[in-house]
Amino acid sequence: MADREHDDWARPRQMIDVELTLNGAQVTTRVPARQLLIDFLRTDRRLTSTTVGCEHGVCGSCTIHVDGTAARSCLVLTAQADGCEIRTLEGIGQPGEPTPVQEAIARHHGVQCGFCTSGIVMTLEAADPSQHQSKEQIRHLLSGNVCRCTGYHKIVEAVADAWGVTDEH
Amino acid sequence: MNTEQVGGRPSLLGQRTRAVEADRLVVGQHRYVSDLDFPDALEIAIVRSPLAHAIVERIATEAARNAPGVHRVVTAADLRDVAPMPDYFDWAKPVAAFPLAVERVRYVGAPVAAVVAENRYLAEDAAELLECDYKDLPVTAGATDALRSDASLLYPYWGSNTMVDSSEPDPEVDAAFERSAQVVSGVYTTQRHGAVPMEPRATVAKYQDGILTVWTTNQFPHICRTIIATCLGMAESEVRVIAPELGGGFGSKCQVYPEEILVAWLAKSSSRPVRFVEDRVEHLTATTQARDMQISLEAALDSAGEITALRGHVVQDLGSEETYPPAFAMGLTAAASLALPYRIPRVNISMTGVVTNKTPAGAYRGFGLAEGVFAMERLIEKVARVTGRDPLQLRRDLLIRPEDLPYVSPGGAEIDSGSHLAAFDRAVELGRQAMADERERDRPEHLRVGLGFANYVEGVMPTFLPVSGRWRTGDSGWFEVNKDGRLTVRTGLQSMGQGLVSTLRVLAAESFAMDPSAVEIVFGQTEGTPESLGSWGSRSTGIFAGACSQAAETLVLAGRRLAARELESAEADIAFVDGTFRIRGTSVGGLSWADVAALGPLESTETYVPEWVDDVPKNDGRMNACATYTNSSQAAVVEVDSRTLHVRVLRFIAVHDCGTVINPTLVEAQVQGGVAQGIGGTLLEEFTYDDFGQPLSGTLADYLLPLASDVPRIDVEHIQTPSPLTPFGVKGAGEAGIAGPAAAIASAIEDALSDILVKELTSTPLTPWAIAASVDLAAHPVH
Repeated sequence: MADREHDDWARPRQMIDVELTLNGAQVTTRVPARQLLIDFLRTDRRLTSTTVGCEHGVCGSCTIHVDGTAARSCLVLTAQADGCEIRTLEGIGQPGEPTPVQEAIARHHGVQCGFCTSGIVMTLEAADPSQHQSKEQIRHLLSGNVCRCTGYHKIVEAVADAWGVTDEH
Repeated sequence: MNTEQVGGRPSLLGQRTRAVEADRLVVGQHRYVSDLDFPDALEIAIVRSPLAHAIVERIATEAARNAPGVHRVVTAADLRDVAPMPDYFDWAKPVAAFPLAVERVRYVGAPVAAVVAENRYLAEDAAELLECDYKDLPVTAGATDALRSDASLLYPYWGSNTMVDSSEPDPEVDAAFERSAQVVSGVYTTQRHGAVPMEPRATVAKYQDGILTVWTTNQFPHICRTIIATCLGMAESEVRVIAPELGGGFGSKCQVYPEEILVAWLAKSSSRPVRFVEDRVEHLTATTQARDMQISLEAALDSAGEITALRGHVVQDLGSEETYPPAFAMGLTAAASLALPYRIPRVNISMTGVVTNKTPAGAYRGFGLAEGVFAMERLIEKVARVTGRDPLQLRRDLLIRPEDLPYVSPGGAEIDSGSHLAAFDRAVELGRQAMADERERDRPEHLRVGLGFANYVEGVMPTFLPVSGRWRTGDSGWFEVNKDGRLTVRTGLQSMGQGLVSTLRVLAAESFAMDPSAVEIVFGQTEGTPESLGSWGSRSTGIFAGACSQAAETLVLAGRRLAARELESAEADIAFVDGTFRIRGTSVGGLSWADVAALGPLESTETYVPEWVDDVPKNDGRMNACATYTNSSQAAVVEVDSRTLHVRVLRFIAVHDCGTVINPTLVEAQVQGGVAQGIGGTLLEEFTYDDFGQPLSGTLADYLLPLASDVPRIDVEHIQTPSPLTPFGVKGAGEAGIAGPAAAIASAIEDALSDILVKELTSTPLTPWAIAASVDLAAHPVH
């Protein structure tokens, strides 16, 4: 029958085995081949620090680290993360032990509702501060993370403080 | 405050205390509705209308129902026992809004059917198998279409597409125009855009032991509960609404949505919780939109060039308005507030709200003020041009002066306090300095810099009656001093990033002479909190300050009574000093809050109503709709590429007076966020539709939110003119910043391009092609 043929070819509910490292721990799992990494993290693993802002790669809320590089988890399939080292905000700093960037953001009030915050912290933690030594460069670095609450001003001040950037503009 | 507080305890107000929410949010420990763990929840995918206006002829659900993992598929036919959202307005045409489309769809994105399945992936698979036959109806694509005599009607039983019309001529205003020497007029348009918070909507519901619990992204949980209960025919005591914390709201979550009613209904006939999480693509057509106003404004000038009267008309595009509450109060607010900073003796602005085949309109920060200020400031600059006056001096001549306060506007707004002239002068000073700084930088000749200004007065803590049709102004808080001396406050106000908990703790600690860390704020749930109208309209700080002051008075009195018994003194001999109850004139043996709380219960529910606010117009038709009024003057320095007409905002200055400032950092944060949204609304954001009502801004690649590279340094300077009317003299700052940028930036662009512009800029967004329409392209070609 036509439906079954289509089903065999497309196999939307095909499962796949995946092995990855998640916040330092080895994980072996079997997931739908089409599952997005963000859904694996939030639903399967209950790691809810990473948020879903758009699911189409624009807002940056879902930013995590794949092999040390900032990546949008809404654009990565769990299957693509096979063999990779995945780090989420849960694996960066701890309650009571924030990173210097996290502490600076809290101190400067560069966080209001918090929805974009995990993506912003992950973007910053993956960056090399020595490559962003002006506020303009910090803004450019952050231009892949949408924030609707802060107007970015206090986030930029926080990062400048944490990274020793002292220019005015 | 009214409690007798003698002593040396320094005030907590005005301190840059670290926000309590910040530390857990930076490590990702947020608790939004979509974070809550419901391991056995069923997930919902909604089938939405692909057409802007159509009759639903047939929905075939069988294939969807048989798809893997699907529990049920529902359409309006299954929800016949659900009442439409209540209509509380006898002065506006009624809209019956149902959870799923009954017979007709009126906007692309309208919910038509719902699939309930084991997970969202399977639910969406099944949703694709649903077959819907529609019969196209002619589309009313915008306000112009809506007002035509042969318009296609969304609600035929209305006889028109006009939902509300407030036009009423004012003979004095008309007379001033008749005898005027000159009339200066313009038509100013603000495009459709909206809140677009980072957190899309989500609702989870569970029905157990006769209680329906609904977790939802909502700014007014108690009102949400009332609406859900009404639609489902339940008693309010059978419904609990929990809104843990929001990832931004800005008004878009100050609505009750069809999905909330739908999820609640589904839960009632399900043994498992039911969950709906909106995705962004849905959000851009299914969450309310705003602005979309055209304001025609005219000024009557006498022979000396003075403005003697202002007349105008606001046309607001409400979309299909299938939501609660409807948004026409924003058009009314635009009309009532646009001229507030200026002493114009006669003002009559009318308003018409029309329905169209677009996503329903709903509240958005600024609530009509941004649109109104754009029109007013543009017209003032035009008057200055026409009469050969300096626009800054013209503003200065018109602004409310200290000796005018309290100033009652022609419409009845009672502006109790403010720093209108001082703020403007300071904004001009800072703006000119910023411009001078920018001029000093090297830049190629084609990059022109310009400077522009804007003023506004913003009413805060408004009445909710014109918006809701039912609820008014006051609010309640439940205050209890525990036996350990800590204060528990239960409130229906809502946290959405504005620092609510931090602010309320400081206010409570100040009122009760405690440390802020001793104050616990319970919010975000209807259970165990008093009836409340929620957080919107920059009301939370002021309304809470009122309830809190009353509570402190009540409980200090009760504490003194208890202390008197314990200390074997007369009550009159007990004083409350620096947080302790002691015999007057002594400095030893005082009782702490913990000591008196152990002697007897110390709790009180306080309702605060700012009595001087009008919920309805007075007999003479005038109305003071807000408890108090803030003022702000803003300056924008822009750089415009004369070859491409691309605009960059280089600097933005906001001089802001919101009365007594509880925490300057939090106020700056609100202003900066509002300014960024204002910049987005001026240069980037638009919900565009084609002539068939098809939304063209379907993703964030089309609906452009301002990025860190789009928003400049935003300098906020505080002026504090306490209100004489509110406890602590506080006003509100939740909507701060957003109303001025469009006007300031338009003005700055005209300054930058003064040699090549031949027409005024009258509409936003000020994209390169929009600006090009005002440029003499023959003389100055652009890329």
